[in-house]
Amino acid sequence: MKKGLTETSKTGAIAWLLQRITAVILFVLLIVHYIGYHMLSKGVGKVDGAEQISYEKVKALMSSPFFNLIQFLFLISALYHGVNGLWTVIEDYVSNKGWRLFLYSLLVVVGISLLFVGTMTILKVGA
Amino acid sequence: MYKKTKFFDLNYYKFLGSWAWILHRLTGLALIFYLSLHVWVISTLAGDNGQFNEIMKFLGSPLFKYLEIGLWFVILFHAFNGIRVVIVDFFKGSLYHKSLFWILMIIAFVLWVWGSYIMVTHIIG
Repeated sequence: MKKGLTETSKTGAIAWLLQRITAVILFVLLIVHYIGYHMLSKGVGKVDGAEQISYEKVKALMSSPFFNLIQFLFLISALYHGVNGLWTVIEDYVSNKGWRLFLYSLLVVVGISLLFVGTMTILKVGA
Repeated sequence: MYKKTKFFDLNYYKFLGSWAWILHRLTGLALIFYLSLHVWVISTLAGDNGQFNEIMKFLGSPLFKYLEIGLWFVILFHAFNGIRVVIVDFFKGSLYHKSLFWILMIIAFVLWVWGSYIMVTHIIG
């Protein structure tokens, strides 16, 4: 049978393994995320005297190069895991070749866009 | 040709693994939605402080705080059932996947109660 771009059942072993590797990475980084951003940071900040998550507070949290590296790893892993997971779901229910190609392309474009937006945020805010 | 799958095959409803599978799928879809929103909201940090604070004020309303308690449940289920999937795939976990499911769910539930308690005290306190 001819191998198509969206016939990932033929090349899915790598995706399967990567899905599990990113799963473990996400589990570990989620713990780091909760400790770093929620437990070690006291209070959420104030805006006009009222308690609220503030620009200054979050910006201060995002000034650590170590946590920014963690955030970047988290972003890549989460986006890959999410996009590949959604593709797995789509593969189960969509059988039309045209629809598959359309949805596959859409996922790649949205995934890369979110990676770009997220990376730019880390670079701009962290710098 | 591609084979279609039923969204939830009722022939398997009596099996624990089938419920874990569909819940993993549904929580996964919810998390993709959350991740996209999260990346967008945090990206406003690159703008001026007024825009970010406006969004945070909106998201700081009790409705979203209560939704966060639901999000915490969704994250915990997906993370802990995901650990079960990895163990089943790599460490012969199929021999004990049912007891493993319940052990992990108990840990997840304890974490959910603990985190939710903290979040509720933030909302009403």
